[in-house]
Amino acid sequence: MLLKLTFNSLYARLLTVGMTVFAISLSLMLYMSVEKLRTSAYTSFTDTISQTDLIVGARTSSVQLLLYSVFRIGNATNNITWESYEDVINKKEVAWSVPISLGDSHKGFRVMGTNSEFFKRYKFRGGQSIELEKGNNLDDLYDVIIGAGVAEKLNYSVGTPLIVSHGLQSFSDHDDQPFKVSGILAKTGTPVDNTVIVSLEAIEAIHVDWSTGAKIPGQITPVEEIRQMDLSPKNITAALIGVNSKLQIFQLQRWINEYPEESLSSILPGVALQELWRIVGVVENLLLGISVTVIFTTLIGMTAIIFSSLNERRREMAIWRAMGASPKVVIGLLMLEAFIISVMSIIVSIVMLFLTLYVLQPWIDNTYGILVNIETLSVKDIYIFMLFIIAASLVSLIPAIRAYWFSINDGMTIKI
Amino acid sequence: MKYIIYILLSFNLMTFAISAEETRQVDKHEHGVGELNIAVEGSTIEFEFMIPGADIVGFEYVAKSDEDIAKINQALETFDDYTNIFTLPSNSLCELNGQKVALKEEDEHDDHDDHDEHDDHDEHAEENHNEFYAKYSFECGNINAIKEVNFPYFATFTNSGELEVQFISNMGSTSFEVEGDEPLINTDGKI
Repeated sequence: MLLKLTFNSLYARLLTVGMTVFAISLSLMLYMSVEKLRTSAYTSFTDTISQTDLIVGARTSSVQLLLYSVFRIGNATNNITWESYEDVINKKEVAWSVPISLGDSHKGFRVMGTNSEFFKRYKFRGGQSIELEKGNNLDDLYDVIIGAGVAEKLNYSVGTPLIVSHGLQSFSDHDDQPFKVSGILAKTGTPVDNTVIVSLEAIEAIHVDWSTGAKIPGQITPVEEIRQMDLSPKNITAALIGVNSKLQIFQLQRWINEYPEESLSSILPGVALQELWRIVGVVENLLLGISVTVIFTTLIGMTAIIFSSLNERRREMAIWRAMGASPKVVIGLLMLEAFIISVMSIIVSIVMLFLTLYVLQPWIDNTYGILVNIETLSVKDIYIFMLFIIAASLVSLIPAIRAYWFSINDGMTIKI
Repeated sequence: MKYIIYILLSFNLMTFAISAEETRQVDKHEHGVGELNIAVEGSTIEFEFMIPGADIVGFEYVAKSDEDIAKINQALETFDDYTNIFTLPSNSLCELNGQKVALKEEDEHDDHDDHDEHDDHDEHAEENHNEFYAKYSFECGNINAIKEVNFPYFATFTNSGELEVQFISNMGSTSFEVEGDEPLINTDGKI
């Protein structure tokens, strides 16, 4: 009876109530999408590299090493010599290793030199391997394999010729030694998508006529001659390492960090990711803080709307009283009203959230490499909703008490 | 004769050159921050603590007075019983099968070969950084039951600051920062 009355009363004010519900659902949706993006970003982030036990590079901070070796953000402070790399991988604890050489680019995409181990050992999203979607492996010295993102944005296919530029933002190209796309990788959602992969030997080859970062003027070694040269790598930027037993990892890490001949750093990727996330976490908390504030504001907004409608509804209340409703019932009615509004807002916000996510998911994945999982609500979400309903009902007590006084004072005749 | 001298000299110079080129590096050392490495492989779990002396006994110089020596010995004894440092859930059925407790006295001048000339040693005593090292290895009947690890460490050593934890298992690596107000790590789903 009470419920029906409230529904009818709300229906009679469809426009204002509708607007209120819409405003609240928008703010709830904002909160939920921030929360969803946050958790999805975290999983995408931590899923970028898995099953690699250690990353080795020149002495630097763990976050920086992780950023340049895995996320291709920023630059290495130094390279490490091939000799040191061999010393490390010859340790009995090491099961496998992947050398990585960075520093050149192609049209804004990073070029990475590595060997065939990379395709076997680099794992993401809890153990998935990268796969060739089209074409072949790096068979020839001047072959490149490009990530799905590179192929898509530059519209490249197998066989497309390309030229590698020296450095990351330079105008000097290695145009005397053109490459050709031999394979395109399937989409991974990791920075591999935006990477141009060549062999370590190719990195050496394109720098044959270069000395200390500049091209030696007038010197062009013919490609045929380069192919005959010894192109074994002299240095690399970083290495991914797997150990035989996790129990040996810290021992190996200490050995690398204290390696006397060269200043090296070795990090556990998960540890560095956590460290990085702690830095990013500040922004995350800020976003969360903003969305909580927005929810709070709409709650107050809802109260204000109920408040302002009170005056117009004094007649309605008088009728309720005439029908035999006690002033307490009037309080109950208003609280019920707030309850219904909040439940409706929650339902609308969930529908809106999933619709938006569904529409935006491919775009977010493409642009930011974050795969937003559209899944059922988390326990935390439900907890927040409950809290919201309770808060809304409590806040509505304020106008309700006012209405209570109105109805006691007015009785059945309105004195305005 | 002259040549022999030359040869000797050049050798001498060479060793000098080598020692001069020797890389110098010093391990980081932060008071109030202990390091803990936890590794899990199969049914084995290992804990490796490296904790600055200041966090345990309140000083880092080489203990000379009886009082200081007693403090160090007492601390080492405390480390001997791992339950003073951390505890594992009893249903994980973990049995201690190896441990090593030591005080690493790190003297910054240690690796010089001219030790004899070092009569001003005491003046540098304050530069010493002592570190407590403890390693415990467990075999567990039900390793997946280790859903959290508690650290009575913070209550045992009142000078202790935080513990920086590096953790690795087949599920991957992660890190924790543990402090006295919440002396536990949640390893649920990480082993």
